[in-house]
Amino acid sequence: MRLPRRAFAFLAVFAAVTFPLLHPLNISDRVSPEAVKFKALIDSIPAGSVVMVSFDHEASTVAEVRPLATVLARHLFSRDVKIIGLSLFAEGTAIGNQVLSLVAEEYGKKYGQDWVFLGFRPQFQAAILGMGESITNVFPRDYYGKTTSELPLLKEVFNYSQIALVVSVADGDLGYAWVDYAYTRYHARVSAMLTAVMVASYMPLYASGQLSGLVNGLKGAADYERLLDKPGAAIRSMDAQSMAHAVILLLILGGNAAYWWGRKK
Amino acid sequence: MTAGNFAAAILTLAIFSFLYRENPFFRLAEHLLVGLSAGYFTVIAVQGTLVPKVLEPLQAGDWWVVVPFILIILILGRLTEKTRPASRIPLALIIGAGAGVAVPALLQARILVQLSATMKPLNSAANIFILVGVITTLVYFFFSREHKGWWGKLATIGTWYLMIFFGATFGNTVMSRISLLIGRLEFLFGDFLGLIK
Repeated sequence: MRLPRRAFAFLAVFAAVTFPLLHPLNISDRVSPEAVKFKALIDSIPAGSVVMVSFDHEASTVAEVRPLATVLARHLFSRDVKIIGLSLFAEGTAIGNQVLSLVAEEYGKKYGQDWVFLGFRPQFQAAILGMGESITNVFPRDYYGKTTSELPLLKEVFNYSQIALVVSVADGDLGYAWVDYAYTRYHARVSAMLTAVMVASYMPLYASGQLSGLVNGLKGAADYERLLDKPGAAIRSMDAQSMAHAVILLLILGGNAAYWWGRKK
Repeated sequence: MTAGNFAAAILTLAIFSFLYRENPFFRLAEHLLVGLSAGYFTVIAVQGTLVPKVLEPLQAGDWWVVVPFILIILILGRLTEKTRPASRIPLALIIGAGAGVAVPALLQARILVQLSATMKPLNSAANIFILVGVITTLVYFFFSREHKGWWGKLATIGTWYLMIFFGATFGNTVMSRISLLIGRLEFLFGDFLGLIK
């Protein structure tokens, strides 16, 4: 059996990712300015306020979005900020609930009082606009089937007026929708935690101030963990990320060198 | 090790086997993903939308929900040739309402606010860089005039801005995809094999 030539590239990347996972190297420590600004934004929210976290992603990107959502939930709960979780993407529902449940348990937070999870609602336009009028009308029942109007947290929070910040944890365009409808129509403060692939597209919204904060993928999650001094899954993964980048750079340089060499001959 | 972790590890390896070549294990994992996703969406739609938004209001005597429910049924008309025209009514409503809601919001958020963000005092390199980028990129996409002479030079600068954007996007894409690989390998070596503490 002869391996195809590309298999060697796969094996090189596999080795580059695996080695630092098994033997941490601690080679990445630079923190991005976006993460610093995002942390400052969360720090500026007074204790007792409410932040809405929307899990707008598919299950396939869980490796990137779970560290982001986890570090955000830890920061919010550690500052006694309350969380309303929801999802505008069906696949994000179970993941969002799992992240919030685990972190709430870690910080001893009570469901219904300190946090709620509303579940999934289709038609994001209608859902985002509807919550500008009444959250309980859009979500009459939460993820667990409880009547939302009877939950203590939602007796105090009616719409975006009582929400200090909306954070969209997204791997696609749904973060735009929060800007288009919640920020533009209701002046809700919106920020985004994104998979790295989406960041370049969202930068114009961040630069114009329509997004008040932005965190960039696994690197952003690792930066955030460093800023909070709570090392977690993201920091552990950044060594593997850096090594994989080095191998990919070498493959690109090697491939180009071989091409030029072949042309010269 | 739980049964769930064992199944997840086997399915991950089945998907990875595609890196060598397409094979029955990969196809099985792929079909499982499609089937499970469809089932999951159905349960979420019924439990999260149909029950609280249609059935419960009906039980409470709110008969107005019959109107959107009939529209839902009409959408299913697409399934047969004979009933297909009926599905155009709810689709027209969705497209019309969607466009009506989206146009003013997008005009404000994506065009007007973004335009005003480029109209800043030219007192910093970043502001000048942004202004030059917006103008030259727009010139590149202006095809009513041939890209020659000084106009062509502006378009070339616009091309450079686009290349920088594509480069940044591709770099981030690589980072994102590697993150997914890290996630799976962390699972295999950590949760499955217990080699990561």
